[in-house]
Amino acid sequence: MMPDMESNHHLNRFLREEDQKPLQHLPYTVLKEADISQRQLDDITQVCSTLSVSRSAAIILLRHCNWNVSKLFDNWFDEEDEVRITVGLFKNPPVDQFSTDGSLVKYFCFETFPGGDGFDDQRISSTFCDHFYCRACWVGYISKSIANDGLGCLSLKCPHPCCGAAVGEDMIFVLAAESADKDKYLRYLLRSYVEDSYRKRKIKWCPAPGCDHAVDFVDYVGGSGGACDVSCLCSYKFCWNCNEEAHSPVKCDTVAKWILKHKDESENTNWILVNTKPCPECRRPIEKNQGCSHMRCRAPCKFEFCWICLGPWGGSHSCNSYLQGVKNKSDKRKEVAKLNLDRYIHYYERWVANHESRQKALVDFQLVQDVHLKKLDRKYRQTNPILSFIREAWLKIIECRRVLKWSYAYGYYFPTHEHGKRQFFEYLQGEAESGLEKLHHCAEVELEEHINADKPIEDFIEFRTKLVQLTVLIGNYFKNLVRAMENDLPEISSYGDYWSCYICTYVNEGSATMCVMCSSQSPVHGEV
Amino acid sequence: MANSNLPRRIIKETQRLLSEPAPGISASPSEDNMRYFNVMILGPTQSPYEGGVFKLELFLPEEYPMAAPKVRFLTKIYHPNIDKLGRICLDILKDKWSPALQIRTVLLSIQALLSAPNPDDPLSENIAKHWKSNEAEAVETAKEWTRLYASGV
Repeated sequence: MMPDMESNHHLNRFLREEDQKPLQHLPYTVLKEADISQRQLDDITQVCSTLSVSRSAAIILLRHCNWNVSKLFDNWFDEEDEVRITVGLFKNPPVDQFSTDGSLVKYFCFETFPGGDGFDDQRISSTFCDHFYCRACWVGYISKSIANDGLGCLSLKCPHPCCGAAVGEDMIFVLAAESADKDKYLRYLLRSYVEDSYRKRKIKWCPAPGCDHAVDFVDYVGGSGGACDVSCLCSYKFCWNCNEEAHSPVKCDTVAKWILKHKDESENTNWILVNTKPCPECRRPIEKNQGCSHMRCRAPCKFEFCWICLGPWGGSHSCNSYLQGVKNKSDKRKEVAKLNLDRYIHYYERWVANHESRQKALVDFQLVQDVHLKKLDRKYRQTNPILSFIREAWLKIIECRRVLKWSYAYGYYFPTHEHGKRQFFEYLQGEAESGLEKLHHCAEVELEEHINADKPIEDFIEFRTKLVQLTVLIGNYFKNLVRAMENDLPEISSYGDYWSCYICTYVNEGSATMCVMCSSQSPVHGEV
Repeated sequence: MANSNLPRRIIKETQRLLSEPAPGISASPSEDNMRYFNVMILGPTQSPYEGGVFKLELFLPEEYPMAAPKVRFLTKIYHPNIDKLGRICLDILKDKWSPALQIRTVLLSIQALLSAPNPDDPLSENIAKHWKSNEAEAVETAKEWTRLYASGV
């Protein structure tokens, strides 16, 4: 059966438009480990050739100047001797002098070596001083530093306490006990190029577990509180400013507060306030875990009281009489805590729900890519580019779930006094959410039907049109939501008795249910 | 047991500490653990700790001499660089440790620290504050503590 040509034409036009969008210039570059190594090697080579120093010396000098080649050249040509002394690249090595009182040891191992050639084989000094130690001592010293000192092993000095001569890479490679130590040393050297770099405000590792890529943010200015999302080659998206997962359009400080909030013990405290009562005697919180209201506090207090009225428990206790207007401080505190906890739970549950939906969508998307698209390809003989509308829909779902998730953190911290703004934000959020649910259902459930059921191609073309339209529509909903969150809803006036129309911006009286200019309904008074 | 396969260095250092003790310092290994030393340091003359005998414990970790010995005062002492648990703020016991140093050097440095307290790099904030705001009074307190806790060892 021939597919509906008009639908096909509509879809292909949409796909062509998508393909023809110009590639966005990214303000950052993702660097693989090999790229970082190459950059590092280029800098080292440049220093070696310009200053006529060994590779080991070049590394020591570059680390001292935070891998800033031009700064190193400036310092070196201004004050070579001073730089040498500071980093421990001595021209005239300090003489091998050991204290006569024996408070310093010549060999850490206390071995004595006979004179002659055999002894010379064992005696080794740093390249930049004349303090000799035996090979075994050096091996132990270097291995210990690589194992325990982290990046500090790159700044290793001669063991003599008053010396300070640098121990370079050449010596470490000769003396490192195991190849694992050498690998570790090279790893630290690579890390140093990113972590000690003078450009460390513009280059950092991707925070995803197990990812070895770094991100070089070429156009980064910094200082703004706004989110700045970066997408690594490992497909992890993170915020450049705060290193948390990508959270635009929500600002970093809101995210920090939110993360602290749901890591914090404060919610446990709230739970205790809501679900327990303090013993009237010792104030220890008590949870009621049995039916009877006769409570007995734990030792050493052992106070017996009534759970309902918190009065002491008598032989024939009753607290059924209503005493009007009597409300103790504890009750008021509990009410406020309960309201706050309920409010937090409302936002937190929705934040988690969208987080989990996104995680599930990521897994489902992988399945769609690996299995479902191939099935559809075989079933309807549709080529992969034609089927890319499904991929687009899933990518939109994943991105929108992320935005929606963070919109709940944004909503939680929304100023309570700005009622108009809040209602408009919640309206936009609601529209976006219900639209996204439709899109997610369509991409998940309806797609499944087309994969598993024996449906004619016309149905598939109809489904395709529906999914494409939903993808575009939801994209627009979320654009509006993101714009509103980024700009803190400037369309809505905060002044109590007026509201600003979000379509024509006319300022209407607070009581007006429709815009006087364009007849749009007020978001405060009902559905638009 | 900690005594089996004791490195030659520890054996030699121990022998030397016992045969040629540093003035005002005695250090002897524990019978059941040769890496654990009972140390006594005499309060240096012309210091608030003069006349006191201070007990310390010193332990050589498995990685010694690549790692610094662990040292702690057991006798209560009023000193800006020693806290109430007896822990000592001394560079060579931390980042400035070198395997070229040894037990003798460490104990001499601790003795020197008693002669020259450094309230600018304190371990005990309160004592350091006291030392800086009213040194004479702080010195008196140190003398009093020496008399109370370090004279009857």
